[in-house]
Amino acid sequence: MLLRTQRLIARQVWTTAFKNRAVFGLLIGIGLLLTYAAATGWVNVRQQNEIGRIYQQQARQDWLGNPDKHPHRMAHYGHFAFRPKAPLSVFDFGMESFLGNTIFLEAHKQNSVNFSEAGFSTGLLRFGEISMAMVLQLLLPLLLFFLGFGTVATDRETGTLKLILSQGVDWGQLLVGKSLGLMAVMLTLYGPVMVVTGLLWFGLQEGTVSADQRMRLGLLMGAYFLYLSFFCVIAVLVSARSKTAKTALVSLIGLWLMLTLVLPRTSQALGSYLYPAPSKAKFLADIQADVLKEGDSHNPNDPHYKRLKDSLLTAYGVDSVQKLPVNYSGLVMAEGEKISAQLYNVHFGRLLAIYDQQNRFSKAMAFMNPYLAIRNLSMALSGTDFAGYVDFQQQAERYRYEMAQKMNDLQIHFISNKKPGAAEKPHQIDKKHWEEVPDFSYQSPGIGRVFAHETISLLAFAFWMGLLGMVGWRLTKTLTAI
Amino acid sequence: MLQAINLTKRYGPGQLPSLDALNLSIQPGEIFCLLGQNGAGKTTTINLFLGFLQPTSGQAIINGLNVAEHPQETKKFLAYLPETVMLYPNLTGTENLDFFAQLAGFRHTPDELHTLLSRAGLQTEAHGKRVGTYSKGMRQKVGIAIALAKQAKALLLDEPTSGLDPKASNEFSAILTGLAQTGTAILMATHDIFRAREVGTRIGIMRAGHLVESLSASDLTANELEAIYLQTV
Repeated sequence: MLLRTQRLIARQVWTTAFKNRAVFGLLIGIGLLLTYAAATGWVNVRQQNEIGRIYQQQARQDWLGNPDKHPHRMAHYGHFAFRPKAPLSVFDFGMESFLGNTIFLEAHKQNSVNFSEAGFSTGLLRFGEISMAMVLQLLLPLLLFFLGFGTVATDRETGTLKLILSQGVDWGQLLVGKSLGLMAVMLTLYGPVMVVTGLLWFGLQEGTVSADQRMRLGLLMGAYFLYLSFFCVIAVLVSARSKTAKTALVSLIGLWLMLTLVLPRTSQALGSYLYPAPSKAKFLADIQADVLKEGDSHNPNDPHYKRLKDSLLTAYGVDSVQKLPVNYSGLVMAEGEKISAQLYNVHFGRLLAIYDQQNRFSKAMAFMNPYLAIRNLSMALSGTDFAGYVDFQQQAERYRYEMAQKMNDLQIHFISNKKPGAAEKPHQIDKKHWEEVPDFSYQSPGIGRVFAHETISLLAFAFWMGLLGMVGWRLTKTLTAI
Repeated sequence: MLQAINLTKRYGPGQLPSLDALNLSIQPGEIFCLLGQNGAGKTTTINLFLGFLQPTSGQAIINGLNVAEHPQETKKFLAYLPETVMLYPNLTGTENLDFFAQLAGFRHTPDELHTLLSRAGLQTEAHGKRVGTYSKGMRQKVGIAIALAKQAKALLLDEPTSGLDPKASNEFSAILTGLAQTGTAILMATHDIFRAREVGTRIGIMRAGHLVESLSASDLTANELEAIYLQTV
C-alpha cells in the first residue's frame, strides 16, 4: 500500500496527540477563540454593510432632494462614497478597521478615507481585533509547535527512535510520517474553520456567488493549508535535529517569536526608515504650494487665469467677461479643479510609490518569513489590504472629480454672468439636474489584481515548499539515531 | 549470522579508537555476552551492527551482508532491544507491539498479538493496559515480543537486565535461552557477570575498544569469570 509506513507513523502521532489532555484543553481554547472570531466577523460585516447601504441610500436621497439652487452650492453640499465589505473580510479583517470604508466627497478637496472603526472605537480595537485569519496565522503555528516539538526528539530521548529505525524504517519515511501526523492534527482545527468560513462567505453573498469569489476562497484555503503545513514540517525537522525535546521546544518557541513578532516589526520599521514617507500635513502643504505655483484662481490678476480670460474673450469676440455666453467663474473653477486634481493625483501617485517601496521591502521579507507571505496574501484575497483601500480612494476621487466638474459644467451653461441685484432672486438651476450625477458604486477589482500585487507572496510560498523539502531531504542523509 | 571483521570505530580524527579491530563471529543458536566497563566499546559494537554508526574501517556483517552497504536489508534479520524500552506510554502493550511489528512489515491479528506477548512472558491482564503503567520488566517483555514478531535471526541487546529485579531477570534469561534454541544468534552487552555466565554460550571481555578475552561459558563458574573479569579490566 502507498506510504504504508508513513501512514502508520502518522497515525501514531495523531493518537498520541489526542491521548494528551493538555492538547484537548488547547484545542478547545483555540476553538472557542475561533468561534468568537467568526461571530464578531459575521456581525461586523453585516452591520457595516447594512449601515453603509442605508447611508449611501440616504445620502443619495438627500442629494436628489435638494431644492433648486446654484450648482456650486451643490458641489459643496457633496456626497458620500461607501465601499461595501468584501465577503471574505469576515475571515480576515485586514487593515479595513483602521483605514475605513467611507469618504466625504466635495469640490476642491480630496478627503482621504475619513471614517474608520478605529477612529470611533474606544475599547476592543485598541487591543487589536481577533479574526479567524489572525488565529490561524499566529496561534495555530504555536499550537503546532507545542504538538510537534517532541515528535522525533522525545523518541530520541527515550531510545524509541533506535527501536523504530532498527525495525527498518528510514529517515525519509520517519520525517514524512511524523509531518503527516501533525498535519492531520492540524486539519482537525483548520478543517472546521474552513467550513465555517465557507458558510459565512456564502451567506454574505446572498445567493450570487461569482467565479472571482470562488477563486479567492479556493486560493485562500490552499494558501492556509500550505502555511500551516510548513509549520508542521518545521516542527518535525527541528525536533529531528534536537538532542532533547526541551531544546526542540525552546528552539521552536524562539523561532515562533522571531517569525511572528520580531521579523514583522523590524521589516516594517526598516521599510519606513529606508523609504521615508511625508507626514499628512506635509503632503497636503506640498500640494497646496504646487497649486499656487500653477495659478491662484481667486486672484483676478493671476497670469494663468488672465491668459484663460484673454483667450476666452478673443474666442467669443467680446470685450468683457460679463458679455460671454458662458459663465466665466464656472470656467475658472473647472480649470482650478482640473489643475488641483491633477496635482493631487501626481502627489498621491508619488506617495503611493513610496508606500509601495516600503511594502515591497516587507513583502520581500516573505522569503525569510512565511508569516509575512500569508498575512499579505490573505489580506489581498480577502479584499482588506492596502491596495484595495487605495483602489477605493482612487475610484472615489474619480467620482468626486466627475461630480465637481459636472456642477461646474452646469454653472458654465446655465448661470448668467451678471450678478443678481439686491432685490432679485439669486442664480439657481432646476433640481432635476441633480439626477444627472449617477450614484457612486464601488467596483471591486478582480483577482487578477491580487496576482499582480502579491506575486512575491505567491513566489515565497513556492520558495518555502522547495526550501523545506530540500532541508528535509538533506537531513535524511545526515541525521543519526544516536 | 553476526560477524565483525577488523571492525574499527574512531569518533574523531586523532582520537583513540572506541573500537579497535574487533573480530567476532556469532553462529545461529549462540548467545555471545559482551562484558566490560562503560566506554569499553560494547554499545559502539551494537550501534555498528545496527548501522547507526559508520565503521572507520572493517566490516560488520549480518547474514552475509555488509551493514554499511546494506543498512536497510540487514535490519530485516535483526531485532534490537535497548537498555530502556520506553515505547509509547499512551498506547497499550498490544497497541505498541502492533505498531512496531507493522513498522517492520508484519501484520498480526489481535490473537497473534496476545500470543506473542504471552510468549514474551507478559501476563494477560497487562496486555490491554497503557504501557505508561508498566514496570521496566514488563516493558522489556513487550520489547521481546516485538523481536519475536519480527522473527529475527539475530538479536542485539544493550544491557537489557540492568534495573530488572532478580525474578524478572531470571525470566528474561529463560526467554533468551528459548530464543537461542530456535536458532537465533544473540549478542548481548551486559554488566551482569552472573547472568552472562548463566545464559551465555560464549563470553567476551572488552577493554578500551579491544576484545581481550573470549571464553566458553560452560568451562567457567561465575566466580572464576568474575576473577578473570577483574584481572582484565
